[in-house]
Amino acid sequence: MPTALITGITGQDGAYLARLLLARGYTVWGIVRADDRPASCKLGSLAALRIENDVRLAAAELRDTASLARVIRDSAPDEIYNLAAQSSVAQSFDTPLETGEISGLSVVCLLQAMRENQPDARFYQASSSEMYGQARETPQTEDTPFYPRSPYGAAKVYAHWMTVNYREAYGCHASCGILFNHESPLRPEQFVTRKVTTAVARIKAGLQSALVLGNLEVQRDWGFAGDYVQAMHLMLQQDTPDDYVIATGEVHSLREFVSLAFQVVGLDYREYVQSDAALFRPAEVQAVVGANGKAARKLGWSPRMKFEQLVEFLVEADIKRVRKDESNIRYVMEEAT
Amino acid sequence: MSKKALITGITGQDGSYLAELLLAKDYEVHGVIRRTSTFSTGRIDHLYQDPHDPDARLFLHYGDLSDAFGLRDIIEQAQPDEVYNLGAQSHVKVSFAQAEYTADVTGVGALRLLEAIRAYNERNGKSVRCYQASSSEMFGGAPPPQSLHTPFHPRSPYGVAKVYAFWQTVNHRESYGMFACNGILFNHESPRRGETFVTRKITRAVGRIKMGLQKKLYLGNLDAKRDWGHARDYVEAMYLMLQQDTPRDYVIATGEAYSVRDFAERAFALADMDYNDFVEVDPRFFRPAEVDYLLGDPGENNAALNWRPKTSFEQFVREMVESDMELARQEKTLIEANHQVTLKGIGNQ
Repeated sequence: MPTALITGITGQDGAYLARLLLARGYTVWGIVRADDRPASCKLGSLAALRIENDVRLAAAELRDTASLARVIRDSAPDEIYNLAAQSSVAQSFDTPLETGEISGLSVVCLLQAMRENQPDARFYQASSSEMYGQARETPQTEDTPFYPRSPYGAAKVYAHWMTVNYREAYGCHASCGILFNHESPLRPEQFVTRKVTTAVARIKAGLQSALVLGNLEVQRDWGFAGDYVQAMHLMLQQDTPDDYVIATGEVHSLREFVSLAFQVVGLDYREYVQSDAALFRPAEVQAVVGANGKAARKLGWSPRMKFEQLVEFLVEADIKRVRKDESNIRYVMEEAT
Repeated sequence: MSKKALITGITGQDGSYLAELLLAKDYEVHGVIRRTSTFSTGRIDHLYQDPHDPDARLFLHYGDLSDAFGLRDIIEQAQPDEVYNLGAQSHVKVSFAQAEYTADVTGVGALRLLEAIRAYNERNGKSVRCYQASSSEMFGGAPPPQSLHTPFHPRSPYGVAKVYAFWQTVNHRESYGMFACNGILFNHESPRRGETFVTRKITRAVGRIKMGLQKKLYLGNLDAKRDWGHARDYVEAMYLMLQQDTPRDYVIATGEAYSVRDFAERAFALADMDYNDFVEVDPRFFRPAEVDYLLGDPGENNAALNWRPKTSFEQFVREMVESDMELARQEKTLIEANHQVTLKGIGNQ
């Protein structure tokens, strides 16, 4: 049976991808940082999907080529999924250098370690719709020029081109998935979707009275992370490596998201939500919507969860969380896929 | 009060020409040099003055684009009005062998400098003007001609790192209102080009072959086409970018392309030789992914800067051949006087 190695396995996408691969009989290895955070905190996402005991974890640092090489030798993966990143756009403005090193440079360390130790492995790079930033056309396709508007976006552009270069220069089976926003109850709370749905659950429970957000007019193409990890897997099953936009093709404003989330619990968002200019990004990204035609044609992939379902799903998971109803949170997550 | 400029990469081809230009315009010039066990200041030795001299206008600081704290200190000391980031691991072929180092210095190094300038601006209420040396290698596989509207398709770790630095520069302009410009310079050559770059490798060989010090010249892809200008002209464009009212990006090119074969043919012809008799192709010098054709379309750029290249292709090939003929003559004289002379660069035969 095949073996997969996942960086960023403790994150949202890593956990969903690990679950998908385990269900298909893969041996799944994950890279975790060798810091001293408690396992309960580190492995929270894996535990939420009840797979924390089914994956094999190895300690390595993304900026340390030697440690990556060791893990690649030990695990001998057929497929490598590079999902690790400093993934918060907002934080990237505060820590641009660290973001550049972790989200950008480290991909070279990993590609190089793969080339030297496991040259026939297939490689997936988590590219991002943030690379389009101030998008030059709408919707965005694989051919739309990039215009990143944040240190995170610029780092992802760097990682994207290095992956393409390893494919073109050295013939590596390396593919980039340009994923548009994809959400789930495993998103950390500082991301806007979870910030909203957590607030809705807390307001409904009487634990919170208001919600302060940044720019409500930003428009995003939001899908479900559980659907998107399937596209990652499909890319590495193709004979030839390539780059794909993974998106729903539908655009909604943050205002719509908020309005719908409050409706789920029968509330009117206008009574609770304020927009604070201090939370705007230094450089805003406006309408981002992806054209998923190539993924549909070549991978046979399409998103299953619709926007309305997604919002409802996120709100319900947070309502259960607020009630500290752990077993039901797991139930909700399993039901969703 | 004369203006102050800080130049990273001052010991390189462009840095040395830019330092000359700015000193001639009465700037006080500060340069960042790396500490190495051998001197790297050959290109600026003629400009150097003892800093104890009250008339000294050129000051050098030890620093490195991989060291953020050091960069902050240098900016604090130099208090520049303008910063030119010309420092880089600038060799495309080497970048394939040292991809991570290239990323760190050429890519993240630019970010370290921009962040140091941003912090300095905020602490001192200043608006330092910044120039980022972007490169036509960012276009890589994009079809020619390439203009400001051409999407990037970098084909080397060097090109990818430069794309990263480009966007960080744009982002600092758009996010923080910094006066930051990218100059996307197409190839620019001179007698000061490093000897591992193809133009200089050719003219160096022409001189040595003419003097009987070398027999063959081994090159990579002879059919690669480039838009070549003279570095001395191009640094003037850098300077002009920072004198405009508003910051933006520019493409700096001649708008004419020649192949490596064209260059070799002319360089050998200037010494009354036929390149066919001496040049051989060695696949070791091919890049893992080739960039076939770079041709700049300056568009409205040159008019905006009131700049145009002064030196023609013919002229700078001649200048390079003449300069390297003189170097080879000196080498020959030393050898004939029984001095031990190591012919550097010949090792790649």
